[in-house]
Amino acid sequence: MTDAPPTQAPPSTRETAAAAQPPIARPLMPGPGAPVVEVDHVSRWYGNVVAVNDISFTLAPGVTGLLGPNGAGKSTLLHMIAGLLRPSAGQVGVLGQAAWQNTAMYRRIGLVPEREAVYPFLTGREFVAMNARLQRLPDADRATAAAIRTVDLEGAADRPIGTYSKGMRQRAKIAGALVHDPQILLLDEPFNGMDPRQRLHMIALLRAMAAEGRTILFSSHILEEVERLADSILVVYAGRLAASGNFREIRRLMTDRPHTFLVRSSDDRRLAAALVDETAVFGVDLSGERLAVSSSEFGAFTRLLPRVARDARISLFEVTPTDDSLESVFAYLVRR
Amino acid sequence: MTVLATIVEVTLRALLGRRRTALLILLAALPVIVALLARIGGRSPGEESLFEAIVRTVLPLVALVFGTSALGSELDDGTAVYILAKPIARWQVVLAKAGVAGSLTGGLVVASTLGSGLMAGAPASGTLATGLGFAVAAAIGSFAYVALFLAASVITSRALILGLIYTLIWEGALAGILEGTRQFSIREATLALAAAFAPAGSGIDGGLDLAGAVGLVGVVIVGGLALATWRLARWEVHGTD
Repeated sequence: MTDAPPTQAPPSTRETAAAAQPPIARPLMPGPGAPVVEVDHVSRWYGNVVAVNDISFTLAPGVTGLLGPNGAGKSTLLHMIAGLLRPSAGQVGVLGQAAWQNTAMYRRIGLVPEREAVYPFLTGREFVAMNARLQRLPDADRATAAAIRTVDLEGAADRPIGTYSKGMRQRAKIAGALVHDPQILLLDEPFNGMDPRQRLHMIALLRAMAAEGRTILFSSHILEEVERLADSILVVYAGRLAASGNFREIRRLMTDRPHTFLVRSSDDRRLAAALVDETAVFGVDLSGERLAVSSSEFGAFTRLLPRVARDARISLFEVTPTDDSLESVFAYLVRR
Repeated sequence: MTVLATIVEVTLRALLGRRRTALLILLAALPVIVALLARIGGRSPGEESLFEAIVRTVLPLVALVFGTSALGSELDDGTAVYILAKPIARWQVVLAKAGVAGSLTGGLVVASTLGSGLMAGAPASGTLATGLGFAVAAAIGSFAYVALFLAASVITSRALILGLIYTLIWEGALAGILEGTRQFSIREATLALAAAFAPAGSGIDGGLDLAGAVGLVGVVIVGGLALATWRLARWEVHGTD
């Protein structure tokens, strides 16, 4: 994100589309070194409910994953960047300008909303063509055909969207968002409803677009999706930015956080005594039906437990991490 | 032009594709059927009463459905984002939506008025001239109602209920009791315009003078579209986490 240097983005297709568009009164390209998207101490609340709480980050070209559980504030954040929600506090800047009420920036932005509703009476081709015409593209039909081909929707392009599966609808929405070859692509849960093959195709497409210099921000509550696609991630939990930066770094934090394991063995008491000597273990509890072991590092514990049990000649029957849900991972990152 | 034409096309297909449009067509056809039955039965259908009934019931109801659906439905279900997240001035969106809703409303009401007039015996009597007067007035009234209801639909998701309150309670009940409320009644303004367009001695009571009617309709159309544009520019997406 902030570490990555902004690159000169526009590929040739974008130049073609931009050349035919009416001139923009104010320049929408960021200056050298300026972030493409800048979120500065942004909060958003609905009455007494705080959806986004004092979040700051910047985005440069590349793929950034917005990771968090449902209700974390991901969509709120994306909509504020898309200029469709006004921040209650703070500022959102896109290409050097305030996002709110800035319709001119939509020449450079493609948005894929999470809500499924798409005009059901339009065919996929008509929907994408509608997007192309509303962008005032000089050759809307050609851009439409190219976008449909890009998302692999040619077979169903002339069917009404009302007959589409969820995955096909997602692809139609993505085609509509990239028909004008945008510099910034904002996608809210874009892989919802896609089958594994479509998912892989879309991941490859988005990576290729990022490699051409585009800035792509997508939200997801599925860690594996983010892992496959994002160079860097923003972890949002309960409206707060829990972590941000390089994906591998945050993945390590997520893995090596304190864990509690429930263990059933041939001799729990002796196993507890042996584990207490290990530095990676900071607590054992024999009060319950099973031995509860608290460890500071997930990876280290999973390696040491079999070794300690083997050395003490104790058989392990069951080892269960107690707090492995994504919710607990996010909660841990916020507490850090 | 391409942008306006695209929004018009999508709006037209959205409105015509709904089941409720068939119900509105049936509603507009009712006066025609009544006039036809009266004629078959050899009785006078009372053309002016029929025309007034169209202005009092068919016009506001059709305008309410089209006016609140044209943009309000898309704002509610989220499809409006596909239009709003584009480099398009909000007044263009409002103008295109109001144009479609007003034209559909006007088309249905004018067809209902002229159809009723023909069934009632025009052109043999003076009915046709009166019917034409009503039709022109109803067409103008359509755009006033639509501008009002469209603005309401951008402001609140309960525009349909508010519109019903306005037409049934304000224009229906209160206008009969409190004369002052007629000054703010599109229905009364439409009837006043019909009285002005109809031949002298037609006996139509508009409840407003012509200047007042023209003023009210003008203010509602311009004000409604301006308010809708202003509110749409500040519209925020909802249903987010």
